Amino acid sequence: MKILVVDDSRIMRNVLKNILKEKQIDENAILEAGNGVEALEMLKNNEVDLILLDWNMPKLNGIELVKIVRNHERLKEIPIIMVTSEAARYNVMEAIKAGVTDYIIKPIRGEIVHKKLEELLGQ
Amino acid sequence: MNVKYINPFISATINTFKGFLGADLKTEKPSLFDSNKSEIRYDISGIIGLAGEVRGAVVISFPKLVALKIVSDFLKEDIKIFGEDVIDTVGELVNIIAGNAKRDMEEFRIVISLPSVVKGPNHQISWMQGVPVILIPFKSNYGPVYLFVSLKDII
Repeated sequence: MKILVVDDSRIMRNVLKNILKEKQIDENAILEAGNGVEALEMLKNNEVDLILLDWNMPKLNGIELVKIVRNHERLKEIPIIMVTSEAARYNVMEAIKAGVTDYIIKPIRGEIVHKKLEELLGQ
Repeated sequence: MNVKYINPFISATINTFKGFLGADLKTEKPSLFDSNKSEIRYDISGIIGLAGEVRGAVVISFPKLVALKIVSDFLKEDIKIFGEDVIDTVGELVNIIAGNAKRDMEEFRIVISLPSVVKGPNHQISWMQGVPVILIPFKSNYGPVYLFVSLKDII
């Protein structure tokens, strides 16, 4: 199993990686990208089972990436959890409309991420 | 500037520090900020621009030692270098504050920018002309935390 963590903040990627490791997810199973363009490259070269995705990022933001993934034959079924500070209801609706599977509002709480992982991956 | 813009940012700052660090902030009296007269001192600022139906900026500023203590606490390691880890964390903090404040301002459609971070002893920030800047000081176990809000609605 591989999980792709996409966030332009290295600190936040580390926070998410540590939360995943608490769920006994192997460090080698966690891929990282600092923006949507890097994430697309990772997705091109790996079989990914879940994407944890920030919204506001340079080059290609989270919503733009969701739209690309959902229109891609091989990638379109990958669950995507948006992990973002964008807390307004209209943002949540926009993300759902774009095709996210679930939505977590920062600041991140480990138990919420763990619960979503259980729901989506049975992990 | 309408006072209704202030409370969402106060709540979001308090909640962000609680959620991010488990830290309690105590709000002190907000005031109109004038950089020529102010005596507060800070060394790093996280800046978020707001666009859409409300325009302006939100800035969070810290003295160097306060920023180092916050980042050390967050990363659970003793950070002594005023470098990339501090910049990254301050940028993320202001990003979370702005994003969370939007939840309490849903009558306006607001787009937040990517955060910028500025370092340097008492650096100057160029605010939008003609829009007042409100300073909201907070007390914390780390030391003083300063939030600046300068917004105007356009509808």
